[in-house]
Amino acid sequence: MTAVDLAGRVPARPRHVVRTALAVAGLVAFTVATCLPAIGGVELDLGSIARYWRNGADKLAELAQPNLAFAPRTVAPMLETLQMALVGAAVAALLSVPLTLWAARATNPSTPARVAVRTVVNVVRAVPDLVYATVLVAMVGVGALPGVLTLVLFDVGIVVKLVSEAIDSSDHGYMEAGRAAGGTQTQINRVTALPQVAPLFANQWLYVLELNVRISAILGIVGAGGIGRLLDERRAFYAYGDVSVVILEILVVVVVIEVLSNLLRRRLV
Amino acid sequence: MRTAAPHVGAGHAPAPTARSSWPVELDRVCVTYPNGTRALRDVSLRVEPGEMVAVVGLSGSGKSTLIRTVNGLVPATSGTVRVGPHQVTALRGRALREVRGHVGMIFQGFNLAERVDVLHNVLVGRFAHTPAWRSLLGRPSAADRELALRALDSVGMLEKVWTRAGSLSGGQKQRVAIARALTQEPGVMLADEPVASLDPPTAHAVMADLRRINAEQGLTVVVNIHLMDLARQYTTRMIGLRAGEVVYDGPAPDATDADFEQIYGRPVQPRDVLGAGA
Repeated sequence: MTAVDLAGRVPARPRHVVRTALAVAGLVAFTVATCLPAIGGVELDLGSIARYWRNGADKLAELAQPNLAFAPRTVAPMLETLQMALVGAAVAALLSVPLTLWAARATNPSTPARVAVRTVVNVVRAVPDLVYATVLVAMVGVGALPGVLTLVLFDVGIVVKLVSEAIDSSDHGYMEAGRAAGGTQTQINRVTALPQVAPLFANQWLYVLELNVRISAILGIVGAGGIGRLLDERRAFYAYGDVSVVILEILVVVVVIEVLSNLLRRRLV
Repeated sequence: MRTAAPHVGAGHAPAPTARSSWPVELDRVCVTYPNGTRALRDVSLRVEPGEMVAVVGLSGSGKSTLIRTVNGLVPATSGTVRVGPHQVTALRGRALREVRGHVGMIFQGFNLAERVDVLHNVLVGRFAHTPAWRSLLGRPSAADRELALRALDSVGMLEKVWTRAGSLSGGQKQRVAIARALTQEPGVMLADEPVASLDPPTAHAVMADLRRINAEQGLTVVVNIHLMDLARQYTTRMIGLRAGEVVYDGPAPDATDADFEQIYGRPVQPRDVLGAGA
């Protein structure tokens, strides 16, 4: 290599010290301001931690000693939770395909139709899952059914939003070919777009399956079936050793699902 | 590339034959894009059935717009476009899709669905002739399947029928795209810079394919190209575009460098020729 003298010819690296400093200062000031009750910020009394932490400490100590003898009683509710998670994710997967293709610009050029679908999905997403569960328990009774319906609504919202955005941010040259050959948008979507975006769907379906296990732990609190009902019951009896077992089980199941879905993902893409 | 300088077609079945070859006629066509760009200014031309015409010009000269007005992918702002018996500029919706079904098109970027196998990419060429329910169920008719397989055979890609398009080389992709267009049983074949993404030997092979289709079937071919030597070697007539206007229209093989300089509006440069490949 010939040594070429670069000294003095390299352009100065552009620096934005002032701009960065201003941005950081602004962010810090805003964060501090949100904690000042005097100007409408949230009231955070850090002193209360020092005063009350002991009350929770005994509970933490009990949680740290899981009552393994309780484990057999958790098997049936855990299975119910897994069934709910799977059924919910599967139904949501079916519903999400047409809704997602309607909600993405690339697969639905009609703006009014797209806005309509997106609006409905946003409304579905805006309602908290516990509210769905509470209302559905009242409508269809206590048990697994309101839980599954809640999971479906929750999952559809997530999948449609995330996948339709992913579709819009990827390249679809094959669509021009489909249009040039005289295809309708439906034909183009079914024959070419759907296989192209299948991995995007698969990723989110696996993700909501994992979410479902965690959520159904909470749904039981309002009577929507699964392991959550047991969790709530033991908590009401202050049986924190039992609660701890349930939490550990949820952790194990979530990790197992995550490992399995990572394996699946690698094969799908 | 898997095969060096693929010589396509030799020893294979002939491509599906078009029912008839169509003329293309533009009459005082203007295209102004919503952002105010005037891509075509008062373009009038007629391509006879069975001609192989090169549309030459620098990028931004309006070549892509011109070729897309023929199948209505870009609507003409004013003027009329006729393809065979149809007045494209008067058609919308279903009628326009039906005409497009008889106008084949290939692209610089191939525009294949990369995760879809070759056969189903080629069957896209049957869209306009396929009822919606067949597409939805994914059940092509036996006749459409036969057409697709014959088209693949004619470009020497039959053995790749179950390969995903994404795992083909550039030259193979463009040949699958040609098969997709042939499956339409087109009256006209449009090609928008079909070899700009290919290396020189493959580029020559694809141009030779287009010329063979033109010669064997008498199919009208309009090909956008910015390279002088390819236009001279493979086409019979050349239309020069500069800033959206036709500035040259004459035989391609004996177009001089001066003619190209007139089209480009600048002296000829080394990058205006591809060079010998195959």
